Amino acid sequence: MVTGLAARALEFAYPGGAPVLAGVDLALVPGELVFLVGPNGSGKSTLLKLLAGLVAPTRGTVTLCGAALATLGPRARARQLALVPQALRALPDARVADFVGGGRYAHGPRFEPLLGRARPADAAAVARALDEADAGGLAERAVGELSLGQFQRVLVARALAQEAPYLLLDEPTAALDPDHQVRLLLLVERLVAAGRAALVVTHELSLASRFATRAVVLAGGRVVASGGAGEVFRRAVLEPVFGPHLVLAPAPDGSGRNLVVPWPCGGETGTRER
Amino acid sequence: MGLAGLKRRGLAPALAAGGLALLALAFLLGALCVGPLRNFAPAEALRGLAAAGFGTEPLAGSDQTILGWRLLRALAAFAVGGMLALSGALLQGLFGNALASPGVLGVSAGASLGASLVLAAIGGFGAGVLGGLAPSPAWITLGALVGALLVLVPLFLVAGAGGRLSMPSLLLAGMAMNALCAGLLAALQSLTLSDFEVARALFAWSFGTLEDRSRAQVTLALAVLALALAGGLLVARELDLLACGEEDAAALGVNVRAVKLATLLLAALLAACAVAVAGQIGFVGLVVPHLVRLLTRRADHRPLLVLSALAGGTLVLATDVLQRAFLPGIDLRPGVVMALLGAPFFLYLLWAKRGELRTW
Repeated sequence: MVTGLAARALEFAYPGGAPVLAGVDLALVPGELVFLVGPNGSGKSTLLKLLAGLVAPTRGTVTLCGAALATLGPRARARQLALVPQALRALPDARVADFVGGGRYAHGPRFEPLLGRARPADAAAVARALDEADAGGLAERAVGELSLGQFQRVLVARALAQEAPYLLLDEPTAALDPDHQVRLLLLVERLVAAGRAALVVTHELSLASRFATRAVVLAGGRVVASGGAGEVFRRAVLEPVFGPHLVLAPAPDGSGRNLVVPWPCGGETGTRER
Repeated sequence: MGLAGLKRRGLAPALAAGGLALLALAFLLGALCVGPLRNFAPAEALRGLAAAGFGTEPLAGSDQTILGWRLLRALAAFAVGGMLALSGALLQGLFGNALASPGVLGVSAGASLGASLVLAAIGGFGAGVLGGLAPSPAWITLGALVGALLVLVPLFLVAGAGGRLSMPSLLLAGMAMNALCAGLLAALQSLTLSDFEVARALFAWSFGTLEDRSRAQVTLALAVLALALAGGLLVARELDLLACGEEDAAALGVNVRAVKLATLLLAALLAACAVAVAGQIGFVGLVVPHLVRLLTRRADHRPLLVLSALAGGTLVLATDVLQRAFLPGIDLRPGVVMALLGAPFFLYLLWAKRGELRTW
């Protein structure tokens, strides 16, 4: 029995466009917290969508526990994979608890009963997810009134309400203050320790270095490096991809992991084309 | 909850539904009492209603017949309004666009064209204005349905390319079909100008009519309204989730393509039936869902669909009754009245609520 979510020789191009991804192999198994890093436009979000089954690859396959993802129905897929999107097309005019309840959709009956639909199990899962995501106090607020950071935690809560073993997070810390960034990743770490698998796309290289059981570096639609945090978060790997403006230093907690901080380095002052 | 609380939190859906139902029943009674030939006292009207419904002793002479006509007319008005408003609520949810309505997709125009072709081919309304041909309303209904469904074919061919339904393409293709149908209808009208009876029937059709609706038509309309409402409730949660975008809904497990297809077909069926029964009545499909959202301060589709159907039905029924009560003898078409009253009222509402309107 093959476990995990796996991409094999994945290629993707928009119709008539240049390839966004080429020959990408990637695996995610329960108990792993994998970080996907890479410059803007390297194909990270597209890869996440392919792994979530939202977009079909041009070539190659995505499998879940050995079965092609494309053969799963949308509901069965959503019970296995939960995606925290980078942004939504529009904010719903709803209470936070109802919005997070959207994560329970795949667990409900295929057709809602014509009258009423309150299920105690759903309410409990929503409350649990809100608490886990440190958003319990927001349940009765309107989604439109939340700050960006609060909304980000609510998005995570909605994914947790899906109770899926595989979590895919697209820049989940982008709108958070440092404290909430760390708390969010500690939460993801706890979920992973409890048996889930998580793939996190991020530009926060220090946090990726701290939390990754494995990291994958994507550049120009290809995997250019992959391995443990110690193998990936090194100048020799990062500089060719991200350029020279990085300072790397051992973290003061003695973990042996590197801090990776954006910092002007070398003679260049302006932006540069890469 | 005080008035301030009501303004902020809106009316509870159950309360709103109860209020609308009472209002609808009141206007139904009004529709039975008021009209040409003679007015009935409420008690008399109720007796006649019982006779029509339960076979009790009918009213004397032609009174029962008059009451029967008025009942059919009132039920037709309610069904048509309900169908148009429900169609609009479904389409606004589907497109995530407050401007969507049965008119935009060209479905209403297609239905109108289909019905008009039947009218022109075999003569006028139920009585048969071209003498002995006596086309049954069933033919006109069928023509409207075929017209509405034929409009959907090119829409799907254009917007369904690449295995998915692209909403902007669908909207733009709908506008094109709308223009095409309107052009064909105008051509048909000018070609039949020489035949006064047919031209008159087509003109009457283009502004909607509630006169002389047959029992079969009214039954069909009420049945379609009930079935479509049930169908709409089956996709209500999916429409809620679609509000954040198709990709997000798909990630949560929604079969986006199936939901879009089902919703579109439901909305088209509703619009076609409404046109088949009463011709084109604009504005109801666009405005009523907005009124409901303003009333309840909620955007979730389960209450929205039910309340839109109720409110749309009540609105068209009320318009019809009020016109008969206050402008007797002036036979304005329901489409005309709806436009004359609805448009200024909606503008006023937009102005009065300009600070509160958000992205619904």
